[in-house]
Amino acid sequence: MIGPLIKGLRITFGHLFKPAITVKYPYEKREVAKRWRGRHLLRVDEQGRELCCYCGLCEAVCPANAIRIYGMEDPTFTRSDVGKIAEIYEIDYRRCIFCGFCAEACPRGAIVLTTDYELAEPEREKLLQTKEVLLEKR
Amino acid sequence: MLVAIAITVVKLLIYFGVLMTIVAYGTLAERKVAGHIQDRLGPLHCGPHGLLQPLADGIKLFFKEDITASKSDKVLYYLAPVIAVVPAILVLGVIPIGDYITIAGKKISLSIADINVALLYFLGVSSFGVYAIMLGGWAGNSKYPLLGGLRSAAQFLSYELLLGLSVIGVVMLVGSFSLKEIVHYQKDMWLFIKQPVAFIIYMIAAIAELNRAPFDLPEAESELVGGYHTEYSSMKFAMFFMGEYANMVVSSAIATCLFLGGWYAPSHYLSFIPGPIWFLLKVFALFFFMLWIRWTYPRFRYDQLMGFCWKYLLPFSLINILGTGLVVILRSGGL
Repeated sequence: MIGPLIKGLRITFGHLFKPAITVKYPYEKREVAKRWRGRHLLRVDEQGRELCCYCGLCEAVCPANAIRIYGMEDPTFTRSDVGKIAEIYEIDYRRCIFCGFCAEACPRGAIVLTTDYELAEPEREKLLQTKEVLLEKR
Repeated sequence: MLVAIAITVVKLLIYFGVLMTIVAYGTLAERKVAGHIQDRLGPLHCGPHGLLQPLADGIKLFFKEDITASKSDKVLYYLAPVIAVVPAILVLGVIPIGDYITIAGKKISLSIADINVALLYFLGVSSFGVYAIMLGGWAGNSKYPLLGGLRSAAQFLSYELLLGLSVIGVVMLVGSFSLKEIVHYQKDMWLFIKQPVAFIIYMIAAIAELNRAPFDLPEAESELVGGYHTEYSSMKFAMFFMGEYANMVVSSAIATCLFLGGWYAPSHYLSFIPGPIWFLLKVFALFFFMLWIRWTYPRFRYDQLMGFCWKYLLPFSLINILGTGLVVILRSGGL
């Protein structure tokens, strides 16, 4: 009867001096995998032109209906190399399930998922993110 | 006369301050030990390594809404948290943390009151604690606190008996109820070597009286929400909490006096360190032991708790008393 009790005490005492596995989150952040699926990024090319050409495949493939996209012409070819860009590109992070299908579906690699996982917002409305936030800054 | 009063008041303030500091940092120690035992870190945000956490907790508890249950018995409802803290502080008066010090040619005793029945006083005052839990459980007019209070009353009565019986062995050997004389007796050999059974039973009974795991049935979270303090909030809840930690400190201090040689160093080589420091070190060691126990063992079932007390510990303590009596008689010249 006494033996197991002492064994228990020994185990807990041993754990007292083991290094804690806690990650002190706001101060130190966990390394995430390279393929981590976090916040989206709309990529631009070297001349600063948007890669997205408004084909609408991401919106069609999105299982959670989180993407809303609306196109416009760009006849001067200053913002796109094919003459079409997305006028509206919204991702609703209240709905997004981070499946990554949008990035898989995209024929031009215009939308990718980054390793940024700090998506929490104090207001729900802010989770609807528009092109200004999502577009890659060069 | 005035000087004597002044000395006593200063001693009171110092002791009270020290006790409250230990209580505050006891809560932090509990959380830190719990964290490290579970391979976590415990509180870290407030101050360096979470050292200001007790302050933050205090501020939070002071500014929380103080809810009074509408159909509660108001008098008892307000009285119970007070009774939870007071006994521990009262016991502080008889604890000798050292022998004497000499300041300006005046010999000052290091305990607030050197009464010759200090041990009886401790047993008497500390059994007040059960009223806090019983009244707190009753006054809230809610079923969970009531059940917690009932459990506590039965548990307290059983283990109070054990506490008294475990102490008797020590009293028989020393021949005095005065804590100072008990400590003086242990100058060469601590009493837990002569009375190991009594020491173990004392510690078990003390932990059971403090309602700490593995005997924390009165506040069993999984069954009774919060037990006897379910209906309390804000500072009234904090009073129960303070009472528990103050009682832990005081029980550790009494155990130090009775079994661990009080202010005496473990060996003569180490006696250059002053007595009060040794005393506090021993108290902290026992305090840590209580935390360690809490985060190691699961809670007893209620019938196991009662069976453990009445079927095992009580006979053992009676045998211990008989054995001690036999030794005392044989030593003093036979039958």
